Amino acid sequence: MEWLATGMEMSLMDKLGILTDAAKYDVACTSSGVERKGNGRSIGNCVSGGICHSFSSDGRCISLLKILLSNECIYDCKYCINRCSNDVPRATFTPEEVCTLTMEFYRRNYIEGLFLSSGIIQNPTFTMELIYRTIWLLRNKYHFNGYVHVKAIPGADGELIQRTGYLVDRMSVNLELPTAEGLRTLAPNKHRKNILAPMRQIQNGIHENKNELVLYRNAPRFVGGGQATQMIIGATPETDYQIINVAESLYQKFELKRVFYSAFVKVNEDKNLPALPGGPPLLREHRLYQADWLLRFYGFAASELLDESRPYFNVMLDPKEDWAVRHLEKFPVEINRASYEMLLRVPGVGVKSARRIIAARRCGNLTFADLKKIGVVLKRALYFITCSGRMMYPTKLEEDYIVRNLTTEKDRIQFGSDGMTYKQMSLFDDGSFQRPVTMQEKLLSAVGQM
Amino acid sequence: MRVYQCEDSLEGIFTAIYNTYEDNCDRMDTRISINDELFLFAEYIPVETDVDKALKVINTIKRRFGEEDYKRLCFALVSREPEKAQAVYRTVAKGLSKECRPGHLLDDLADDSVNLVFSLARATNNEYLHLMGFTRFAELQSGILYAKIGPKNDVLAFLMPHFADRFPIENFMIHDEKRNLYGVHPAGKDWYLMRGEDVELAESSLRVSDGEMEYQELFKYFCGKIVIEERRNLELQRSMLPLRFREYMAEFK
Repeated sequence: MEWLATGMEMSLMDKLGILTDAAKYDVACTSSGVERKGNGRSIGNCVSGGICHSFSSDGRCISLLKILLSNECIYDCKYCINRCSNDVPRATFTPEEVCTLTMEFYRRNYIEGLFLSSGIIQNPTFTMELIYRTIWLLRNKYHFNGYVHVKAIPGADGELIQRTGYLVDRMSVNLELPTAEGLRTLAPNKHRKNILAPMRQIQNGIHENKNELVLYRNAPRFVGGGQATQMIIGATPETDYQIINVAESLYQKFELKRVFYSAFVKVNEDKNLPALPGGPPLLREHRLYQADWLLRFYGFAASELLDESRPYFNVMLDPKEDWAVRHLEKFPVEINRASYEMLLRVPGVGVKSARRIIAARRCGNLTFADLKKIGVVLKRALYFITCSGRMMYPTKLEEDYIVRNLTTEKDRIQFGSDGMTYKQMSLFDDGSFQRPVTMQEKLLSAVGQM
Repeated sequence: MRVYQCEDSLEGIFTAIYNTYEDNCDRMDTRISINDELFLFAEYIPVETDVDKALKVINTIKRRFGEEDYKRLCFALVSREPEKAQAVYRTVAKGLSKECRPGHLLDDLADDSVNLVFSLARATNNEYLHLMGFTRFAELQSGILYAKIGPKNDVLAFLMPHFADRFPIENFMIHDEKRNLYGVHPAGKDWYLMRGEDVELAESSLRVSDGEMEYQELFKYFCGKIVIEERRNLELQRSMLPLRFREYMAEFK
């Protein structure tokens, strides 16, 4: 184990610090998708909804022990903190250290399982083999039965990826950047082809495994939780339209479970990287996640949300509101009669509330008060729905009017670390130029002269 | 009006429901109460908790409405809301009075009782899901894993099967501080609940093991390191992880 020679004298605490620091920009860290009961002999089970064990002070969920096996990377990706030209402390875990940490944390219910990624040590195949050996040890020597998510290393030997797939619950290959050009400029050692190959391999593996499981119920599961990927948003000049199209085709052609978006955090100085004076593009990331949900659960197509002529999401409105105000011919929707698909398209109605509406209206006509109890967000929905043919308030079905009302709410989600909200400026900003009505004006208007 | 007064437990309330049917009550003019509330012109009937009667009601509920809805009723019944007994009674009586397919007992959310049961069940379920993640075990010198929780609703009985499934080979114990209730799981055996009065624990037996502090420190360090400073958002953290859970969690000590 000569590659370990430098890291041997470092304490476990130091290693954990360095390798957590190095892994924190990975976002694909959920523990969902697998339901597995405990086997009564070893530690661990899985819950299909996933479990969040803690939340860090950036509000992100801590579910898995998210670490790199090593940050001694030979690649030089410009956006990455671990690139070989950076002067950062380097460390490598031994497989035993990873296993002990996982087991001890898991016993205390700190974590739901392990998320293991790695910088490229020597070459991709060698790195993948180290990951495989670590997971093999965890499963077979430490008898860990909880959730394991590993990164498949692009360019690694297919056989190794296959064998690892039988040990883990989820695998992911990072797409890194949405387009091949982006990858060429920022990650000179990575190639689109190498990234898509293991993705396809895992997809095929899952398919074959499904057939096996039909025949032999106890056949080993191959990546039971499906595969995921992530891409960095805002490091390269792709538009939102390009990004959600990439996401859509990943869902359709590669049958991914999730695509994660990670707002670009500038950790290196490089002439090819954009300057981000306002911090990471968090609002953009948020809009992309909203659109992602619309693609997966609400029956929207990417082409409905954006097109060539408007390639970016609206800053003020979420993608669903944006779609709704541009398709006012479909509204208002009658809550007591509309189809499930149409209910899903109403802003303020989610998957759960749409299901509840369908169930509840079998028992009787629903009113606006009932909708409130069911959990519909009326302040957003009221412009688009009727109950028994009536709207909640007399409102106009006009794009400008609705947009104005949807965006003047005080309690919109606050973005940015300083609590700043984004607001479109206009000449006629309401509120800013108000002066009280004078007595004389009141008199004039009373007699109809004003 | 008739008011059935029963004890605040699953068995107590199910027994009361059995009694209302035994006495052929009009469901619109009957009330099940778990405290000593008083009404004008009401007839008070005390209910003696009877496990057999409760089981009969449970079986009927399971048969007519299915396991899933039975579980949701149980979730509603361990809530801390005093109105829960009446709401569950109304809901069950309404479901029994008409054709109701399994899984559809709580469909009619426009009905106030059904809605209350639904939201209580959801609140309890949420707390249960939270505690599945936020419960923290500490290793004692005896090797037993010990956790302390303080939930709003009485979710310990739901939490135990989850952890018993997860840690079958561990001796562990969860202490519900608010109700002074212990859930005990001996390795390889079935779990059980104990009332605090029956448990004798010496101060010294709760001393943590030698390695324990080291792992707490490691995890605390991990939680600090995983943060992306550029994304710091304490408000989001607080809404995802309410402060009331934090006093029991190692990483916030």
